[in-house]
Amino acid sequence: MSDAYREVSRESGVVATTLISDPRPPTPDPLALAPLQEWMQSVVTHPGDVYEAAEAGAIGVDTVVLPSKTLQPIQRVGIYHSMYMLRMIEALEADYEALAYAMGEHAFGHLVREYVQRFPSRSYTLNRLGDHLPEFIAASDLKRKTFLADLARLELAMTHVFEEAEAAPMPPDAIASVPPDRIEALRFTPIPAIRLLTFACNADEVFQAWREERVVEPRRGKTWLAVHRRDYGVYRMPLSQEAFTFLGSLISGETIGSAITKFARRFRRMPRQQELFGWFRDWSEAGLFAAIAITEQER
Amino acid sequence: MNRFNFPDLGIGIGLRTVHYAHILDTQPDVDWFEALSENYLDTGGRPRYVLETIAERYPIVLHGVSMSIGGTDPIDFDYLRKLKELARGVNARWISDHLCWTGVSGRNVHDLLPMPYNEESLRHTAARVRVISDFLETPLVVENPSSYVEFATSTMTEWDFLAALAAESDCGLLLDVNNIYVSSFNHGFDPKTYVDAIPADRVVQVHLAGHANHGTHIIDTHDNVVIDEVWQLYGRACARTGDVSTLMEWDANIPDFETVHAEARKAEAFRGSGESGVGGRRRKGSGESGVGGRRKSSSKSLRHPTPDTRPPQDAEAVHV
Ligand SMILES: [Fe+2]
Repeated sequence: MSDAYREVSRESGVVATTLISDPRPPTPDPLALAPLQEWMQSVVTHPGDVYEAAEAGAIGVDTVVLPSKTLQPIQRVGIYHSMYMLRMIEALEADYEALAYAMGEHAFGHLVREYVQRFPSRSYTLNRLGDHLPEFIAASDLKRKTFLADLARLELAMTHVFEEAEAAPMPPDAIASVPPDRIEALRFTPIPAIRLLTFACNADEVFQAWREERVVEPRRGKTWLAVHRRDYGVYRMPLSQEAFTFLGSLISGETIGSAITKFARRFRRMPRQQELFGWFRDWSEAGLFAAIAITEQER
Repeated sequence: MNRFNFPDLGIGIGLRTVHYAHILDTQPDVDWFEALSENYLDTGGRPRYVLETIAERYPIVLHGVSMSIGGTDPIDFDYLRKLKELARGVNARWISDHLCWTGVSGRNVHDLLPMPYNEESLRHTAARVRVISDFLETPLVVENPSSYVEFATSTMTEWDFLAALAAESDCGLLLDVNNIYVSSFNHGFDPKTYVDAIPADRVVQVHLAGHANHGTHIIDTHDNVVIDEVWQLYGRACARTGDVSTLMEWDANIPDFETVHAEARKAEAFRGSGESGVGGRRRKGSGESGVGGRRKSSSKSLRHPTPDTRPPQDAEAVHV
């Protein structure tokens, strides 16, 4: 009941509802521009069909929209309504092609329908629409959600790496110019377009198989991956757990010395020299680092 | 010539991801490109690199789909700031968006949603266009959209609304003759009346596109060639505006570059001089400046127009 109404008790015991005064400004016109846009958005983005959408709307469709010679108002609004979900599915399919394939058209469409209710676009670009999809899958009750969330995280990382700021990699032989006694004090600046990922299954292997139109079944078991960009192309670099740990330390800004210490604590051994040479050769050739600096205080 | 002295760039093509490699490799003899603004904001990757490289050689116009000119949410100045920076970076000749709204309450539906055409929405939209043009330091160019509904609260025609908006906000117009045809079919008006009513001196650019006719209504799909009736409207518009920057939009089922370009070049038959305007190669070194008047010093050489966001995946990712 509105504040403008009061229940008035009479001696007779009759309870009546009477408008005694209205201190508020007049009720806004429901067909004014702002409420009309709110109404149309609520109908267009409603997860049900257009009839359910219209039913849930604050204003009757026929009050707002005129018929054409060939279409009723609800059919005309239905054009926008049907195109909305198609557009959302199309946009997320472009970002999550392998995921959409792994789930199948129907299940992926259903996932998108639920996802955009929880995480509708709030950006001027559709490129941000899928940012929460991995976490949404992880929190869902989907069968195979661990695998599907991993696959989604891989594809999201590829999207982010694709769009990151560009930075020229340092020359591959830059480390060779550092005196051997200063190596442990080296600190690396990674290129912005790099992401390190840990998976609970063989997500990258499944992704690669999908690329090559082969079938590889998802398997449980931890895997490690770097996704990075070089010459504006996105690349995936599978890593061992040891390489992943060491690279992770360097990317988070630790010196080589500190990365070695952390490695030794974690794996109860020192990294082998051959191992280190191989890693630095691969990472430098892949252009993962933009710059190196020698940290004086660590000497 | 329009009242803003925006030049006739000739006949251009909408810049699309599937054509990047062809354009970079062959530098085709096209007069100019229109880039979808949102595809090049917030990215430091290949799209921005490609656009900047193409802008070294060809005139660029920025065309947006998320400005929400008629929306009732506050104007998004963060978006406008980035758009302005992009426009300066690629020496955009002008910036356009649609007479529409794209969402409220902080949401974006990513559609060109229709406006009711009445005094309230006219005042509201004109005020926003003035603010946007002031911020961008260039007259905004506003495009007529395709629409599928008419509102009971409309009190004027779309062409009267557009003319009044242009006069009140001093904006330019991007006349999409395909959209006029689509809306005329959907709402039952004579498209010629629309074309004849538009203030010709404010028309900076014309759009051409294909559509899908479902019998009861037409959807603006941008997935096909331009139909004859739309070419006739184009000719009618050109007779009023004189030769005007003309652009072919093709956003779905996009064929090879040459097919799109050949479709666009059919426009030559309707243009007075029979050849392209000041765009493309012949304009190189003309010194003409774009939005904000600054040239980037880089030496590096929705169907609805839903922005294309991705390159073909196989071109971008290789398993190492
Ligand atoms: Fe258009």
